[in-house]
Amino acid sequence: MLTVEPAPSASPTPKRPIYESSTQFRNWRFSPEQLSQLRSTLNASAVAVIRNTLENEKPGSSSVVSFLTVEEEHLLVKLYVTKITQLCGLFRFPEEVEATAITYLKRFYLKNTVMDWHPKNVMLTALFLATKTTNNPISLEAYTTHIPKTAPSDVLDLEFLVAQSLGFEFAVWHSHRALWGMILDMQNIPDCPSDTKPIYESALAHVRASRLTDAELVYTPSQIALAALSLAAPEVASQWSLSKSPSEPSSSLLSSETLHAVVETIKSLITSAGHPPHVEAVREVDRRLKLCKNPEKIVGSHAYLAKKAEEEKKAEAKRNKKASETSQAMKDGDPFGNELIKAPIGLVDYDDEDDD
Amino acid sequence: MDAVEKANLERQKRWAKDQKVGEGAYAVVYRGREFATGRKVAIKKIKVGQFKDGLDMSAIREVKYLRELRHQNVIELLDVFSSKTNLNLVLEFLDSDLEMIIKDRSLVFLPADIKSWMAMTFRGLEFCHRNFILHRDLKPNNLLVASDGHLKIADFGLARDFADPGYKMTCQVITRWYRPPELLFGSRYYGSAVDIWSVGTIFAELMLRIPYLPGESDMDQLKTIFRALGTPTEEDWPGHTKLPDYIPVGQFPKTPLRDLFTAASADALNLLNKCLIYEPRKRISAKEALFHPYFTALPYPTHPSKLPKCTTHLSARALEEVDGNVEMNSTGPGVKANNSRLKRKLSSPDEDSKARLIARRLDFTKQTPHS
Repeated sequence: MLTVEPAPSASPTPKRPIYESSTQFRNWRFSPEQLSQLRSTLNASAVAVIRNTLENEKPGSSSVVSFLTVEEEHLLVKLYVTKITQLCGLFRFPEEVEATAITYLKRFYLKNTVMDWHPKNVMLTALFLATKTTNNPISLEAYTTHIPKTAPSDVLDLEFLVAQSLGFEFAVWHSHRALWGMILDMQNIPDCPSDTKPIYESALAHVRASRLTDAELVYTPSQIALAALSLAAPEVASQWSLSKSPSEPSSSLLSSETLHAVVETIKSLITSAGHPPHVEAVREVDRRLKLCKNPEKIVGSHAYLAKKAEEEKKAEAKRNKKASETSQAMKDGDPFGNELIKAPIGLVDYDDEDDD
Repeated sequence: MDAVEKANLERQKRWAKDQKVGEGAYAVVYRGREFATGRKVAIKKIKVGQFKDGLDMSAIREVKYLRELRHQNVIELLDVFSSKTNLNLVLEFLDSDLEMIIKDRSLVFLPADIKSWMAMTFRGLEFCHRNFILHRDLKPNNLLVASDGHLKIADFGLARDFADPGYKMTCQVITRWYRPPELLFGSRYYGSAVDIWSVGTIFAELMLRIPYLPGESDMDQLKTIFRALGTPTEEDWPGHTKLPDYIPVGQFPKTPLRDLFTAASADALNLLNKCLIYEPRKRISAKEALFHPYFTALPYPTHPSKLPKCTTHLSARALEEVDGNVEMNSTGPGVKANNSRLKRKLSSPDEDSKARLIARRLDFTKQTPHS
């Protein structure tokens, strides 16, 4: 998984871009095929679990439920991507917060499905977490009081789950940063328009549109930025990439033909998918989601209570075991217990109840 | 069980907590090991439940940066998992830190030893800066030393990415004695030079064996700095009188570093001087420092395995490390630097002055017990 830094005495290895050592490069890049495979698998296993739960509650009940498809799940997530943008406008959060929260939301749904966790809550948590990971923290109170019908627990209850789903990999490389770099570079390119502001603003709009697509899960931030720049000012974009291409072909870099093809693919992705979903279509999906949500995750439902009771039973058994061990130790005469017996592998009590 | 929960449990099962080695307001540190390999690790369990704003900032910073950084002079974060309401960071296990080594009076440092620690510090720091990360809390206590002698930069609880030009940052960072004058003057725009100043004061401390600039308050810190290095003029440091918290603290003459560091080589003093330049933009960078003649001149840096080692135990360090880094109810960065608890006290003023005298006559010609 990790590359080991060569010892100082080892022969010099070819220089790799910093980006390639990032968790984003290593763990969060997929081919479009991998993405759809991943989502189908998640969807199928969620449906199987929920069907099973429903059948346990009431045999035959799952046959009337129409579960969400992969596309419908995706549509709902996309809607909540646009909600993040709205909230960031309300709070006047910096661009980095918005972009990071959107990335978190998308990554979350590569590990979970909307039938288990509704994107409304996940979105709130992802955004709150992003304010902290980008060093723009606000208090939970200030956050929730400005969002209608939201209690602090709505945000915090999912924080661990979201952080876990992200693999605690909080650092995100963004294409709007790459774009800004290109705009700065343009100042050194001869024959470039002296006023780069209109180009920047138009390209930035395309970068923002790209956040509604899967682009960032497939392509590098600089590829997306170049595509956005190319949509805004094709001539300038090709001048920029010409100025960056090495005089000699290098094996580690994309050839200009490949790069061109990649950029064109991203451009058509942004143009075709980079707009908010139709609210009516999403409303229909959301209505159906109410019927096919995993009942174990709905507070107060029969299945939820059953699951809680099961967990409580386990915890109770554990406490009893502990108590009887203690009283046994008291009986044996030493209130502090006997000498520690090394726990066999795999039988360790991880909960550390003593020091929580 | 959800796939995500399952994955977390799998991670959790890889590690065994063996023994509590320290407890603070915000975390408990255990010594542990990896089941499969027996490899020793440190597990830092952060109690999250008690923070009203959820995962706290210093835990988030630490996880965020250590997840990205892999370098032999930066502490390695091996894994992260949660257990109930706790966040567990599995870190590589390191025996001691530079503060313990500096304080261990039974150890004698050769110039080559100091050079070795400095080289490792600069290598780790250059890597952080190359990744656009400011550490913002460098001090001997955060430079951990492995049993094989390798030094690793630790505690990224105050770290952050470089800000864009024009973007404000807090000046309430870096433990006071290691804090550069621009932060003491309230500068909200700064860069990697703040860490370099800290490394400079650590370099001096390695030579003196006592903290070089131990101010008693933020105000006194400025005085202590100027007393040692002379009050900066407008020419030394253009514009510093315009900084937000600028305050004149008196005129002190410049005295050559040589007066205090009598045994140091010219190269060493030249590098030290470049780390402690008032004008942050003129201060040496970590990369430039690695190319400084000091590192290529004789004596060559001691091999890590041959460096002086501490005989004391880890528990004391672990306790201090986890101690009150964070204010329970704040969301802002933990203002570690202002915390008087973190000041290191020498046992008596008497001993203090004695130590100073000894330091002034640092004699590098002594034979070392370990060589």
